[in-house]
Amino acid sequence: MSNIIELRDVWKRYDTGGEVVEALKDVHFHAEPGEFVSVMGPSGSGKSTMLNVLGLLDTPSEGTVLLDGQDVTDLSDREMTTQRKRFIGFIFQSFHLIPTLSALENVEVPTLFGDDPTARDRATELLERVGLGDRLDHRPDQLSGGQKQRVAIARALINEPQILLADEPTGNLDQETGRSVLDLFDEIRREDDVAVIAVTHDPQLSNYTDRTVELIDGRIQ
Amino acid sequence: MSPLDDLFRRVPALLMARRNLSRNRIRTSLAVLGIIIGVLAIASLGMFGTTLRAGATQQLGDIGNEISISPNLQEGVEELTDRDVDQIRRAVTDGSVVPVRSETLRVGRGDRQTVATVYGMENPGAIYEAEDGRVPDRLRKDALVGSGTATLLDVEPGNTISVDGRTYRVSAVLAQQQGLSLVNPNNAVVVPLDDVNGTGYSQVVVNAESGQAANESAVAIRESLNDREERVSVFELQTITSGINQFFGILNTFLIGIGSISLVVAGVSILNVMLMSTIERRQEIGVLRAVGVQRGDVVRMILAEAGLLGVTGGLIGAVLAVGAGVVLNAVVLNDPLSTFQAANFVYIFLAVVFGVGTSVLSGLYPAWKAANERPVEALRK
Ligand SMILES: Nc1ncnc2c1ncn2[C@@H]1O[C@H](COP(=O)(O)OP(=O)(O)O)[C@@H](O)[C@H]1O
Ligand SMILES: [Mg+2]
Repeated sequence: MSNIIELRDVWKRYDTGGEVVEALKDVHFHAEPGEFVSVMGPSGSGKSTMLNVLGLLDTPSEGTVLLDGQDVTDLSDREMTTQRKRFIGFIFQSFHLIPTLSALENVEVPTLFGDDPTARDRATELLERVGLGDRLDHRPDQLSGGQKQRVAIARALINEPQILLADEPTGNLDQETGRSVLDLFDEIRREDDVAVIAVTHDPQLSNYTDRTVELIDGRIQ
Repeated sequence: MSPLDDLFRRVPALLMARRNLSRNRIRTSLAVLGIIIGVLAIASLGMFGTTLRAGATQQLGDIGNEISISPNLQEGVEELTDRDVDQIRRAVTDGSVVPVRSETLRVGRGDRQTVATVYGMENPGAIYEAEDGRVPDRLRKDALVGSGTATLLDVEPGNTISVDGRTYRVSAVLAQQQGLSLVNPNNAVVVPLDDVNGTGYSQVVVNAESGQAANESAVAIRESLNDREERVSVFELQTITSGINQFFGILNTFLIGIGSISLVVAGVSILNVMLMSTIERRQEIGVLRAVGVQRGDVVRMILAEAGLLGVTGGLIGAVLAVGAGVVLNAVVLNDPLSTFQAANFVYIFLAVVFGVGTSVLSGLYPAWKAANERPVEALRK
């Protein structure tokens, strides 16, 4: 099976006032559709940086990013945004829901700017799928942490992405809730053939993943 | 689905903007208040100018149609001759010419005596109207009494009065002249021309059909009578009215300028509010960008917020301005309905346009700043 996303010889350097930090050093990485990969490593090892490069939020200083076989390293901001919308769903540790919008509207956000007549139906279906069919009109502050993360997952899925990127998705949840979120990931990647790449410290995760990549000091071990 | 929901679905930037503004109601209200004050200031100061002008014009009366020709005393011309009057008649194409002779004489009725200006005129009907009685086309033997003198002497049409020893029957009491006048009848008596001593005329009044005709007549009279020497001075009341109009034009511009300053202040406050709210929402905007919202849409969203502030403030300001105009016109002109005239709506419209424009302009920088923030930076804590 071919890779949906791939990093080749990727370096990422940050110039912080004279001192250059190498956050990623010669990173090779790939993931296939339906694969569940976890990225582990100590704090500051470059996990978030790698996820950002994979998610077309950031560009590498050196190296190539291939998305669905296409070189997307040097796209313009506009094109990258379009590709992000098409291929990638993000899930963050602190959920990052928009507090003024209802659960349903939060799920619709990625479709909001653009003509998408079926978005509302899809958003409703997704919320039902993640078990929040009775919370459609609740604001984020009326939801628990686990429920918020479920809304965030539904939001990540609204545009039917092929890759789900999650940065410490269970970091703010208790073990029980964390497990139900991981079950959801497992279901998604099996049923929808989505590649799930999750950064985590959570030891539970290894029960779910196909593969674990370890980053130390910017290098894959 | 209500029309508003429909609009929000079609213009998502508006939906987001409205929700964002409802987040911090006090701050939003204060920003709107700034725009309200600015719009109210511009609109009501503009209307204030219109009202002042209307008030002043009302005071002056309908005098733009009259011109007065008098002898140029500086050139040694003591009075106007029949020849001058003929020349004036030829120069005036559209209007009536009233030669006037005047003296100050004793006027009385019974015991009551006073000293009044006495005008000798052949055709006073061209410039005066009766309040009581009738003003004849040609004044041959009767007298007309101004309203002030009539009150003083307790005169009604049909009474007899004596002017410098002669007796006249009074055929009319003249309507009080409100505005400025070249030959003010209020405290005067008008008698047939030949009854006032002298052969020449102290002035000639021309009452033209329109302001423009008056102006053309004045030009023609100057050309014809002042050809060789400055024989007469021609006085156009129109120059006063146009001067007054000009003055109020300047005053209006000045007032609106002052109003605009308050709008600039409102603009700065919106800039501040929008900047604060976009900085607070940095992460959210980062998330929007991460999930595929384009830069341009972020700009549109924030401009929509600024625009909503402006439209809300502008509309409330406009309503308040109409209210202020009604009160002002009721007090100054005694006519609240004169608020609803085209000139005022132009001011209100301009004020609202300025208000919305200022808001959107103030939103530009925050919008640009928010859209150009890299999502990775915004999402890093
Ligand atoms: N925008 C940045 N500017 C400077 N240094 C950065 C920036 N982002 C990350 N870094 C540095 O890169 C390294 C990796 O960071 P990060 O990817 O966030 O690590 P992790 O997610 O594994 O904790 C760290 O040393 C961090 O300080
Ligand atoms: Mg991290």
